[in-house]
Amino acid sequence: MPDLSALADPGFLAVQCLNGLTQAMFLFLIASGLSLIFGVLGVLNFAHGSLYMLGAYLSYTIASWFVGSPAAFWVALILGSIGVALVGGIIESVFLRPVYRREELDQLLVTYALVLIISDLVKLAWGAENRSGSRPALLAGSVVIAGRDFPTYNLFVLAVGPLVALGLWLLLRRTQFGRLVRAAANDREMVGVVGVNVTGLFTGVFMLGAWLGGLGGGLAAPIGAIFPGMDVEIIVESFIVVVVGGMGSLGGTLLGALIIGQLNAFGILFFPRFAIVFVYILMAVVLVIRPWGLLGRPVTRG
Amino acid sequence: MSAAMERRWVVRAVAGAALLAVPLALPQFYLLLSVEILIMGLFAIGFNVLLGYAGMVSFGHAAFFGVGAYTCGLLLKKTEAPFVVAFLAAPVVAVVVAAVIGYFCVRLTRIYFSMLTLAFSQIVWATAHKWYSLTGGDNGLVGVPVPAWLIGPRTFYGFVAGVSVIVVAVLWRIMQAPFGRTLLAIRENAERAEFVGINVKRSQLTAFALSGAVSGLAGGMFALFTRGAFPEYAFWTKSAEVLLMTLLGGPHVFLGPALGAGILIVLNSVVTSYTEYWPIVLGIILLALIYVFPGGVTRIFLGWRGTGRPAGPTRA
Amino acid sequence: MKRFTAVAGTVLSCLLILWSALPLPVPAQQETIKIGVIYGLGGAAAPYTKPAITGHEIAVDEINAKGGLLGRKLQLVIRDDQSKPDVGVREARELILKEKVDFLMGVIHSGVALGISEVAKEYKKIYLNTIAKTAALTEEKGHRYVFRSASNTVIEGRAAAILMANQPFKRYAVIGPDYEYGHRMVDDFISYLKMLKPGVQVVGEAWPKFGERDFTAHVNALLQAKPEMVYSSLWGGDAIAFVKQAKPYGFFTKTEYMNIAAADLDVVVPLGAETPEGIWGSSNYAFYYPDTPANREFVAKYKAKANDLPPAGAFFGYVGTYFLAEAIRKAKSADTEKVIDALEGLTIETPIGPLTMRAYDHQATKGQYWGRLKRVPEFPFPIMGDVQLIGGEKTLRPVDEIKALRGAK
Repeated sequence: MPDLSALADPGFLAVQCLNGLTQAMFLFLIASGLSLIFGVLGVLNFAHGSLYMLGAYLSYTIASWFVGSPAAFWVALILGSIGVALVGGIIESVFLRPVYRREELDQLLVTYALVLIISDLVKLAWGAENRSGSRPALLAGSVVIAGRDFPTYNLFVLAVGPLVALGLWLLLRRTQFGRLVRAAANDREMVGVVGVNVTGLFTGVFMLGAWLGGLGGGLAAPIGAIFPGMDVEIIVESFIVVVVGGMGSLGGTLLGALIIGQLNAFGILFFPRFAIVFVYILMAVVLVIRPWGLLGRPVTRG
Repeated sequence: MSAAMERRWVVRAVAGAALLAVPLALPQFYLLLSVEILIMGLFAIGFNVLLGYAGMVSFGHAAFFGVGAYTCGLLLKKTEAPFVVAFLAAPVVAVVVAAVIGYFCVRLTRIYFSMLTLAFSQIVWATAHKWYSLTGGDNGLVGVPVPAWLIGPRTFYGFVAGVSVIVVAVLWRIMQAPFGRTLLAIRENAERAEFVGINVKRSQLTAFALSGAVSGLAGGMFALFTRGAFPEYAFWTKSAEVLLMTLLGGPHVFLGPALGAGILIVLNSVVTSYTEYWPIVLGIILLALIYVFPGGVTRIFLGWRGTGRPAGPTRA
Repeated sequence: MKRFTAVAGTVLSCLLILWSALPLPVPAQQETIKIGVIYGLGGAAAPYTKPAITGHEIAVDEINAKGGLLGRKLQLVIRDDQSKPDVGVREARELILKEKVDFLMGVIHSGVALGISEVAKEYKKIYLNTIAKTAALTEEKGHRYVFRSASNTVIEGRAAAILMANQPFKRYAVIGPDYEYGHRMVDDFISYLKMLKPGVQVVGEAWPKFGERDFTAHVNALLQAKPEMVYSSLWGGDAIAFVKQAKPYGFFTKTEYMNIAAADLDVVVPLGAETPEGIWGSSNYAFYYPDTPANREFVAKYKAKANDLPPAGAFFGYVGTYFLAEAIRKAKSADTEKVIDALEGLTIETPIGPLTMRAYDHQATKGQYWGRLKRVPEFPFPIMGDVQLIGGEKTLRPVDEIKALRGAK
């Protein structure tokens, strides 16, 4: 029987809430890329986990070039995620572009093939050992919150998440690019008809989505293990977040991430031995009750 | 039945029997590989009832394969149930599970349908993974006793081939019957099908359950073949495997998925004896499949051009 | 009709092409003694299994350089099981039937090992497991054809309990990956510790899934239980991520921490200077202990071949191969039944000293090393200080208990 007396301790609750929030921000960063690509391109990108893994490896390697320098982490995070965006650009223009007019299944298959290829390429390039990055000195310590230590790095992630969310919101709401993206999400053919460069738009969106995945990987690199195979777990988790929130809806992705973050943080107190099934049950329940997700739009066509 | 049709059936039967008899002349290893091809081929044909006929992409068919494997394995290992009962229980339990899961899934369409099948299959996987006292957890259910008369590789091959032929023949009849046409009509345009008086959801649910039953039967045979059942049999990667087999062979041809299973399993066996980098090889094959010969291997030989699936009934 | 012939023709020609692409089975009478080696070579297992293969290769090269065994050279045939039991079973059958291997070795994934063990029993071939730890393999599911040169969960759990029996801690919290291995390592530790030291309490438990990325909720929950000692059966990437994430919560100043894999090279090297000093760590093998000529020699051999320090996997591959080789030498035959008889009770010299393959359950007396991690100037990562070896003889489950377990099945 789990000990639930902890729930009466406000300090514990505060920290656990923040833990859930940090996890949610990670999930949001990664899953928003998946959601964006699905919303605009209509492609369910299985290779999103691979992009996350690439982000972690690239950031790790770039940071190792500047070892000892206080800027190493920042340079690695920025260059690593840009590198992933470039890889995303190649994936979109070389592999996906020829199959947009095909069935959804063909696009899915392309991305699944890329999962297999990237996983082996990563193994060939970086070897099989576990690796891990380092937090910058500035973020390595902790601050006291509600009488307890809380990692500064997590506060940083808690800030990055909303900043990225805000940035995406501004990009989609306040720029020409965003207007086109939203128009394309509504009606792909229409945007092409009115003379917009859909090809460039799709590449741009895919690169943005890949960048978000790579950024998630780069942020995870200093606080976890980097190994070939880290792509498998994240992809199903991102699917769950996106499905719960509503496929293609960024606000929904944020909400889905927040719910799953808190579910994981508090669920383990009630059912410590059943953490692996929570999320799948949540996903099934949401799909049964509200298939289009919490903030998604109902499907119009059967 | 006209004389020409009769002759056609005789030739088909002879050709089929010859094909199935080939492995019996091969060394034992190839015989076992053929068993695996038959089992996975049956799984893929069952899966294709949904994909090729009804146009529904399930990401969670491993659930029924796994349920079948565990049902057969558990009954043989933990009870005194006679072999026939244990074996036939696999598709029966699978059909019940598929009916329940299908009830919720067929109400959704496209990617939402796929995602819900994925969620349910992961719940099945997690159950097998966690329920140590019943399933043996992630260590799996090992040492499933196979009756003495079935142990020899040639007998086992004969058994699997016999079961597969019967099931495939029955499935073929069902798919040629009005039910198969109904599914195709739904695949092409669900709204129109509804309009002409087809109960779309019920037909889809029937297809889902039928597909689950065949998958469960394949799973039961697989448990006998590997002498065990493991949570991996219900994991989403297994669902991806059967999807790839089906697409590789060609979902628009009734026996295409089995061909896909054969190609994938033999290729895997060849490639893995030379390198551990099988995933990259598989990835490249998939890309070739998409860009060079869409529609699966069967389409190359049958000379069908163009994209998308052919309208009208599916071919043999 | 045309279409049907086309399909049948397609199927037949595809099959024929593919069959002919397969190499023909080699003749039964062969020059070499073939050993099939199966491991999951990707994902989380790879940091163990890749060095293990190097370990096998070093041993085989050495033996062959001295003229092989019985005048025949040893040959390894390596396969990847992708950490999937059905693939492992298929590979094992392929190795036996097509490659005509004389022996099977390897495997890290417990489910795969149990699956292959059944194949070995069916084809009457020896399967010598080198890494997988599930005790069931040699206990209730043991049989004549399965052996293990590595330790198992009972050995490792009890070793940790013996270590802690002399320590003052009473309030324990536990954390482990949520699968059989993680649970057994905890259960075997706690139950034995309670026997040795009545009054021990488990005040908290956490079961993150294997491959978890975020341990912070577990860290906070464990701290809330106010344990004196946290016992962890996390390994590999999980062990790394937990330490990294727990540290800024002040975890390692608020409680003692012991981890069954914390001294493994694949954990301490990535952690490097971030490893908290003073945590209790264990490893299956340490290149620096025992500091004997035999161990130094093994380290030098591995360095020469892989240009790196040998992790635990390297030792497992090397020693497993030698168990088999010495048994063949003693049996003066590569015949399965004779080699089994020779393996039972066989004692061999290894880089860490003599190890014995117990006759009854075919389980080697592999012990466990524990020590508190400390920084040293020689390496950029910490090593165990005041290493204690808790020998396998002390921690193996007694034969009577295993008999009872097997009888109960």
